[in-house]
Amino acid sequence: MRQKQKQLEYERLVLVYSDELFRYALWLCRDKSMAEDLVQESCMRAWKSFDKLRETTSSKAWLMTILRNEHARQYARYRPDMVDLDLDMLSLRDTDNDTSPEAFALKQALNELANEYKEPLLLQVIGGLSCEEIASVCNISKSATMTRLFRAKQKLREVLQPANEQVSTK
Amino acid sequence: MKCEDFKFEYTAAPSDIAGDAYAHLQACPSCQQFAEQQRAFEQQLGSVINCAVPEGYRQSLRASLPPANGVVWRWPKTSIALAASVLLAVGVMGIMVLQKGTTQFTIDQLVVEHFEHDGAHSMLASNQINRQQLEQISRPFGVQVGLLGNISFAEKCPIGDSYGLHMVYQYNDQMITVIYMPEIPLQQTLPFSYSGLKGWVKPLKKGSLAVLVGASDELPDETFASQAIEWL
Repeated sequence: MRQKQKQLEYERLVLVYSDELFRYALWLCRDKSMAEDLVQESCMRAWKSFDKLRETTSSKAWLMTILRNEHARQYARYRPDMVDLDLDMLSLRDTDNDTSPEAFALKQALNELANEYKEPLLLQVIGGLSCEEIASVCNISKSATMTRLFRAKQKLREVLQPANEQVSTK
Repeated sequence: MKCEDFKFEYTAAPSDIAGDAYAHLQACPSCQQFAEQQRAFEQQLGSVINCAVPEGYRQSLRASLPPANGVVWRWPKTSIALAASVLLAVGVMGIMVLQKGTTQFTIDQLVVEHFEHDGAHSMLASNQINRQQLEQISRPFGVQVGLLGNISFAEKCPIGDSYGLHMVYQYNDQMITVIYMPEIPLQQTLPFSYSGLKGWVKPLKKGSLAVLVGASDELPDETFASQAIEWL
C-alpha cells in the first residue's frame, strides 16, 4: 500500500469513528482530557498496525479493541496515582448532555455497573457493534456477551421502573 | 419461541432480531408491548451514554494524526527482545486457546499488541529494579520475586484477558523474559519454539510462568520457575 493512500484511508477511518471513540474513551476514563489523550494514543497505535487491518467491515471493532487495550494498559500503569479522585463525580460532570433526574439516576447506575457488564453495553450503545463484534472486542463468547447485555440493561431498567414492571430473568 | 426467550434476545440485541424471534414478535401482543417499552428505554439509554463531543476535538485529533510521509515506527535494535515478545504472545495465545477454547483474538492481533507495547520497551530498560520497587510491583500478584541479580524491567501488563507480571532478567549474561500469569492456568509444562526462539510455560500453584530466550541462548530449566516466584 502506498504511503499516501494508506494515510488517506487511515485518516478517513479514524475520523469516521472519532466521535464513537471519544465517547467510549470518556466512559472508560471519566475525564474529557484523558479521553482525548486516550483517543490520540489509540489512533497512533492504530496507525502503527494499520497494515494488519485486512477487513474494512471490522474496522470499528478493531479501533475499539485498540482503544480498550490502550486504556487497560494506562489503567494498569497509572491508576494508583488516581485513586483519590472522585471518579463518579467526574464522570457525571463530563457527560452533562442530559441533566434530568432520570438521566442522573441512569448515569449513576451505569457507573456502578461492574466493568464486565458496562463494557459490552457501551460498545453496543456507543459503537453500535453487533454481539459478535462485542464478543471479539471483549474476548468473550457471543452467548456471554448477550447475557451480560441482558443483565446490564435489566439492572439499569430497575432504576427507572417499579419492581413489578421489571423484566423477568432468564 | 417462548416470551421469555424473546425478551432475553430483544433486550440483549434489539437490532439483531430475526428468524424465530421476529416471527414471535409479529404474533405476540404482549411482546409487542414489551418491545415498545424497551425501545423507549434504549432511546433513553442512548441519550445518556452518547454524550456530546467537545468543540475542537476533531480538529485536534486530525492535527495529531501522523504525517503522510512520516515513518512512525521502526524495528528496534534489540531484535531478540522483539522476537521474544512475539514468541511469548504466540505462546500465551496457544495456552489460552488450549485452556479455554473461547479466545476470540486472532494470533496476529495479540502478537501485534504485545509487540508494540511491551516488546522493545521492556528490553530497552537498562536500570536495575531494586528490591523495594520489585516488591511493590509483585505484591498485588500475591507473590514475591525470588530471582537474585539484575532485573531491568518489571511491570504489570495486560496478557490476554488478564494481567501478568512481566520481567526482564539477566540470566548467565543474557537477558531473558519472564512472565508470571496468575490467571492463566495450565495442566502441564508447554515448551515452544518459534521463529528462532524457544521457551516454556510451566504451571504453578496459581497460574503459570513463561520464560523465553533466543534460539541460541541458554534456556533455564523448569526448576527456574520455583526460584523465580515465591508465594506470600
